[in-house]
Amino acid sequence: MAVNIIKDRYASNVGEVVLGATKDQGGTRSHTLTVGGDATLPYLHFEGEVKNKPIIALEVVDVVPDWNQVVKGPYADVLDNPAEWAKKCVEYGADAIYLKLDGAHPDRANRSAEECVATVKSILEAVGVPLIVNGCGVAEKDNEVLTAIADAAAGENLLIGLAEEDNYKSLTAACMVHKHSIIARSPLDINICKQLNILINEMNLPLNRIVIDPMIGSLGYGIEYAYSIMERARLGSLQNDKMLAMPMICTVGYETWRSKESNASEADFPSWGDQEVRGIGWEAMTAAALIQAGASILLMRHPEALKKVKKNIDELMVSNQY
Amino acid sequence: MAKHTVRFLPNDITVDVDRGTTLLEAASSAGIELKSTCGGDGSCGRCTVLIKDGLVESLGQGNLSKRSKDQGLSLACKSAVAGNTTVVVPKDSILQSHQILLDEKNLLSEVSIDALRNYKKDSFIKRYYLTLEEPTLTENAPDLARLMAELRKNGVNNAHIALENVKNLASVLRDGNWRVTVTTSDLHDFISIISIEAGHVTKPLYGFAIDIGTTTVVVNLVEIETGQIIDSQGTYNKQARYGDDVITRIVHASDYDIGLSELQQAVVSTVNELANKLVVKNQLVPEDIKAAIVAGNTTMTQLFLGINPKYIRLEPYISTIAQVPLVKGSELGLVMHPEGIIYNFAAVASYVGGDIVSGVLATNMAKEESIVLFIDIGTNGEMVLGNQDWLVTCACSAGPAFEGGGITHGTRAMTGAIERVFIDSQSYEVKFKTIGSGKPIGICGSGLIDGLAKLRNAGIIDRSGKFNQSVQTTRLRRTEEDWEFVLAWAHESELEKDIVLTESDIKNIIRAKGAIYSAIRTMLKMMELDGFAIDKIVIAGGFGNYLNIGDSIQIGLLPDLPIEKYIFLGNSSVKGSRIALLSKEALLEAEEIGRKMTYLELSVGNTFMDEFVSALFLPHTDLSQFPSVTQ
Repeated sequence: MAVNIIKDRYASNVGEVVLGATKDQGGTRSHTLTVGGDATLPYLHFEGEVKNKPIIALEVVDVVPDWNQVVKGPYADVLDNPAEWAKKCVEYGADAIYLKLDGAHPDRANRSAEECVATVKSILEAVGVPLIVNGCGVAEKDNEVLTAIADAAAGENLLIGLAEEDNYKSLTAACMVHKHSIIARSPLDINICKQLNILINEMNLPLNRIVIDPMIGSLGYGIEYAYSIMERARLGSLQNDKMLAMPMICTVGYETWRSKESNASEADFPSWGDQEVRGIGWEAMTAAALIQAGASILLMRHPEALKKVKKNIDELMVSNQY
Repeated sequence: MAKHTVRFLPNDITVDVDRGTTLLEAASSAGIELKSTCGGDGSCGRCTVLIKDGLVESLGQGNLSKRSKDQGLSLACKSAVAGNTTVVVPKDSILQSHQILLDEKNLLSEVSIDALRNYKKDSFIKRYYLTLEEPTLTENAPDLARLMAELRKNGVNNAHIALENVKNLASVLRDGNWRVTVTTSDLHDFISIISIEAGHVTKPLYGFAIDIGTTTVVVNLVEIETGQIIDSQGTYNKQARYGDDVITRIVHASDYDIGLSELQQAVVSTVNELANKLVVKNQLVPEDIKAAIVAGNTTMTQLFLGINPKYIRLEPYISTIAQVPLVKGSELGLVMHPEGIIYNFAAVASYVGGDIVSGVLATNMAKEESIVLFIDIGTNGEMVLGNQDWLVTCACSAGPAFEGGGITHGTRAMTGAIERVFIDSQSYEVKFKTIGSGKPIGICGSGLIDGLAKLRNAGIIDRSGKFNQSVQTTRLRRTEEDWEFVLAWAHESELEKDIVLTESDIKNIIRAKGAIYSAIRTMLKMMELDGFAIDKIVIAGGFGNYLNIGDSIQIGLLPDLPIEKYIFLGNSSVKGSRIALLSKEALLEAEEIGRKMTYLELSVGNTFMDEFVSALFLPHTDLSQFPSVTQ
């Protein structure tokens, strides 16, 4: 008697979001990238289409960051020049650039909106890959800076963040008017994630311009919570919940490179071994776990970690259909 | 101890108090009950007064709002008398006697479920008309033996008689010429003689049906043989001065030596105040009341009986009582026959008490095949789901929002409370209706629900309850502390200040409604049912009668089911008390029901928390649960 192998069938799929715009679309990118679209649980090709592979963006900061030596190393001579830094990232294989505007923070460099717009423009000129932009984390400043950027870069279809439960209206309006996509962040809470998406969508930003940032913890620092939330979001997407069916973005670089394991020297912890190997491994492992949970966009820092994860992704994208 | 005089205006009442007495205590002894949600510890900011002149020592700042401070007010609980003082008490600091839910006649028609028809109308209180053989020299049995023998002939065996009843037996028998009326209680395999009266007394037999609520107490005077409610009285529970909610009162009882007796005194005196009114108004005497059936939540019942509720609020939340022993009127000092029986409905768990068991009896749900959801909307948010085969219950602790607690201009359902709100979605103009139709003094639960629904409909607030700051109207404004929407302007209100709804108020209401809705969902999930499996939803509570079902569904307080499925029962607890008084069969069945009810602890597992966060949205994060809510 033949054994009937049961395959799950799903009612719907994750929505697709396009990053960037080419010349005839109103932008200046050499190509666009599409993420999401999965019609199955991560990499179960035999149950549905895994339409687009996850992409990796490398992080560029608008001021010299206080990262440790290991992760700064690959960018040693370009840390003070965001445009050159972005070029280096593309050389290292980044699918997109993730610009973090830490310099805009009022307690630090307090760069003005104009200065930030100039940085964005310099990067758009320097590279042809899509651009992801994140503010400094201070609501009032970000509302000012990000709306200016949205305006100045109208037509480029940037992915701009962050919109949060308590502060989303300003950014949503800017994205809607200047036709960009938005990163909607919720604090590891599936309900707030959904509520935020509903609120953003009710302001008339279409669903295919929302990317979910569920907030993550790195390996050893709460990754399992992120995994659970992302798993629920993916399951919801496949069960016709339109308000959860968005691609997910993860701040892997930020979270992993602030862990003790990525920053402790071998001198202080001999049994932990070489710091560079450790740090790169920590970042790569975190990313690898999260793509299994359905991450579509990974924001990373170290080029070696990127290489490992890309290899992992390529292997996972090989169909295991039967 | 030095004594000082405190004069309270505008009523012009003067009291003498010891130096160091707080103005809150002084007001109370002057018969002026000030609002004191926190029980006098300075954290609620409600007991504001104006110290006109005299000497007062400040015991600390407390939570005095900036608004009050700017008006030169002080907290009564934080002001100690240090000399002769004159104090002006603002109107909205006084705990006014408010409209207690006695029965119907309001917005939505109340349905009477005649649950009594299912039971034998045979009370546990019985009356026997006896004619004894007069003793002679040859037939010389003692009086008591003679009486007992005659009772045995009427099927009453092993009746217990208290000394009090024996003392006057000889004269009673001879005064009635050996004709005597004996009233007994036959319950729990124990027959006790309540009264022995000379002659054949045809005056009706009376009993009290009592509901001891956290906020309000209601007493019905019931004629046992006909079942008629002769009269009814209600008032607020005097325990309120020790705190608005059950937890605060439990803390008071356990933390202070005299705390427990203060709380017991407070509630007993509340009941007695009502009992007295009923007795006097209906030209009766206390001895005419032979029984009292009491329904109260677990904490209320324990406090009423003087049982320390300390462990109810400490994990794992265990109450002392389940079924409670029968108590005599004299043991609690209740205005009734001293030998009369006080019966308390059993508690199911720490947070689901006899009042809910009584309510279940009144809804008749334990006798029906259809699945009923019974919700008592109030501070404790208890509910029961089930039918004749199974019953589950839980309490979600909705909080005092529906009774006005924690809301800037919130009040209980009393005269002057805004109970209906209309907002024009173009002009944003507001029309409202108050209880009693006079000028508004605040907003009660119904008004809050109505208000929230209308604000959402007009687009003034978004689904998370935040104000849409771009809405153009002078009613929507920003203050130092918050954003607020004016429902009634100062010149329209009784308070001489604008009556507003702030963004924080809206958050509180959403949390309260979220708690109730998510408790319903959790119970349904645990029983693996969906909303459509519910055949009938019975709403009860002092707040229940003023509930607008349409608006409740709009904001996601109640499940989106056809309005025809909803029924209002008003005060289900006191209704159940009456049924138990009139039918022993019903009373015993209520005990069975109490034992059968399975208590679901909502704090165990993730389901409730998850549902709760999901419910903090108007109407809900999962819009598919509310198809009839178009916007």
